[in-house]
Amino acid sequence: MNIITQPQLVSWLDSIAKERPLIAPRNVAGVLLYRPVENSSEIAWGPTRPLMSVKDVLFPPTERLLTIEKVGLEVKLTDTFPEGNVVVFGVRPCDARGMQVLDALFIDTEPVDPYYARRRGNTTLIGMACREMGPSCFCTSMGGAPDDTSGADIFLTELPGGFVLQVLTEKGEALLSELSLAGFYGELPKPSYNRPLNLVERDAWPTHFNDEYWESMAERCLSCRICAYVCPTCRCFAVRDEALLAPGQFERIRCWDSCAGENYRRIAGGHKPRAEKGERLRNRFMCKFYYYSEQYGLDKTVACTGCGRCVDACPVSVDITEVLAEFGR
Amino acid sequence: MYEPKIIAFLCTWCSYTGADSAGIARLKSPANIRAIRVPCSGRVSPEIIMRTFDQGADGVLVLGCHIGECHYDTGNHRTAKRLPIVQALMEFAGLDPQRLRLDWVSASEGERFANITNEFVDGVRALGPVRWRVTSNQLRAACERVLPSIEPVEYTASDCAGKTEAIRARVKELLSSREADCAIGYEVSPRGRTRPTFVYRPEDVERLVWNPDCTHNLTTYLREKLHPEKGKETPKKVAVVVKPCDSRAINVLVAENAFEREQVYAIGVVCDGIADGKGSLQTRCATCAERIPFVYDTLIGDPSTHDTKPSSPVAPGIAQLSESTSAERMEFWLSQFDRCIRCYACRQACPMCDCPTCLYERDDSTWVGMGIGLNEKRTFHLGRAYHLAGRCIGCNECERVCPMNIPIGYLNQKLVQEIENTFAFRAGLTPVVSPIVTVLAGEYKEG
Repeated sequence: MNIITQPQLVSWLDSIAKERPLIAPRNVAGVLLYRPVENSSEIAWGPTRPLMSVKDVLFPPTERLLTIEKVGLEVKLTDTFPEGNVVVFGVRPCDARGMQVLDALFIDTEPVDPYYARRRGNTTLIGMACREMGPSCFCTSMGGAPDDTSGADIFLTELPGGFVLQVLTEKGEALLSELSLAGFYGELPKPSYNRPLNLVERDAWPTHFNDEYWESMAERCLSCRICAYVCPTCRCFAVRDEALLAPGQFERIRCWDSCAGENYRRIAGGHKPRAEKGERLRNRFMCKFYYYSEQYGLDKTVACTGCGRCVDACPVSVDITEVLAEFGR
Repeated sequence: MYEPKIIAFLCTWCSYTGADSAGIARLKSPANIRAIRVPCSGRVSPEIIMRTFDQGADGVLVLGCHIGECHYDTGNHRTAKRLPIVQALMEFAGLDPQRLRLDWVSASEGERFANITNEFVDGVRALGPVRWRVTSNQLRAACERVLPSIEPVEYTASDCAGKTEAIRARVKELLSSREADCAIGYEVSPRGRTRPTFVYRPEDVERLVWNPDCTHNLTTYLREKLHPEKGKETPKKVAVVVKPCDSRAINVLVAENAFEREQVYAIGVVCDGIADGKGSLQTRCATCAERIPFVYDTLIGDPSTHDTKPSSPVAPGIAQLSESTSAERMEFWLSQFDRCIRCYACRQACPMCDCPTCLYERDDSTWVGMGIGLNEKRTFHLGRAYHLAGRCIGCNECERVCPMNIPIGYLNQKLVQEIENTFAFRAGLTPVVSPIVTVLAGEYKEG
């Protein structure tokens, strides 16, 4: 462990930003988002977590998968893989954990998603411990912590006047190479934890499948997609071929989808397997706490990092912690 | 030399024949025109126009029969009502107004056709290539302009406890007497946040509250409560708590036959405005003078202390935006739409957005791509704003629910102003449909 002072950190970030895209929390017209910054002065340093998770750096809202070109009778397909190294600064522990959940689907399970895998390989995450848990945070109940280093390549913990810097991976080592820092031998400050939630055992979730609760709790749901899009672990997407302006040119894109949307999983012929919002919202929570870990062998890990974004962003205050409380009684 | 691409939509009965007349008379009309023959200028929907610009047109010309000469009697009345609104909207979004023109050319007016097309093409040529379709995603902080906010108005609530009691008592009566099967109101969540709630049994009315945070427009739930999924019973009557702005939605929806007035029991609340969580009124409420609901079956609160009148639809940002150049407006809106994640919260929260499947979400839609890119997002927002023209009741829920702080309300407010100036009409004050989608009294010829 090393100590990095605020001026050292700032000049280090500035030198990174000169070489490759640096993405950091930035205040964009009043909304805190992970966005490219030209230098460290654009970074929003506050303790608030950005509205959107770091997911949209590695799994962008829309991404071109390949281009399709029709030349005479031939159809030519060209993969468009993401290129270039990216550094993300100020990643919250809940976001870094979220990446690990996405890895289970995109990288650890065959077939590997080459787009995600490349971005993941090209991205170095500089994590940052939270000073304290926010009012809607419940990461400690989901197996994380405000000072959890997992998933980050480099991890910073704030101290008066500077940060404790831990290098956790070779990628982090490579990024830090030229910087010489003083050692740190003290105790890391321990953030206080919110009261943990009572949780239901994973295997008990299917027993609640037919509960009437789903319909009543979903009644106020607007069927918008905010919860899925701000979530660091929601990863549903749709794929479509679209025509470009030039004749004979097409592209295949994928973009985010959400089980909250009315047309989610609509199949040929128009049948919607989850026509009612209670069924769709049930899917959201069953997916987070049962289906996903069951399907991808995540054992005790759930597909929720307790970041609380959906709690804060929901326009009608549908609250995931209430669902957990309902079944965890 | 730069030659613009112009798409001309020509009514087959008049203008297309008018173009022929121009040809027969050997009049010179520009080669830039790509003519598309349509059965009636009324066929040219705003979606078609926006799509044409999306696909790279430098200018769009819509030519129809003169008023009174429409082959379908009133087809061109629709064009005449609709196009100025589309023009105002696209101009507000940053399109040069000279790039979209509506005019009338009859079958015999070859000379008029030649004059209009030459004039239009010259005008667009002078403007240069259109910058409508966005090719790069390189928008940066430079264009993240902040609009002036209005002075905060201190919020003072009157008698929330009394209103809460009155709402509970009324709902209890309605549910006990089975006059209504369901009541939609507000409750406070375990986390202390005010949110919509649904009450079915008289013993549950204690959940209901009235407080300074009752911001949601609950009428948005009416369509799904009154048109439940197959196999479920339709409630006889649904009671709903409404503020003055919300109540206007009932008027519009009843006028549009979304449901019958008898199916809804409106519990109107005398409104002091809604708080913004920081001790002031929400922006939408600070300019609002509506205190008493426009439609209600029972009124909660004391109306005598309030003077209600329709509020001014003028928001300060709109005036400022209107005064900037087209390029500045374009930049402003693109930088706003850049943040949009197409979560559709604006649409879902809107009581007026009640299409079973949104035009912009159909997976076979050719009006808009599926991607979450700038062009698609702008098409969605402008299209939605147009669909709300003459229908938007100004509750501003779309803007409130937007997680990205996009001032969507400006688009709607701009069209509220346009409709008001053109038709002297404001949505939802009475149960009357928007004048831009209807045929007005006297429009049909006698006999």
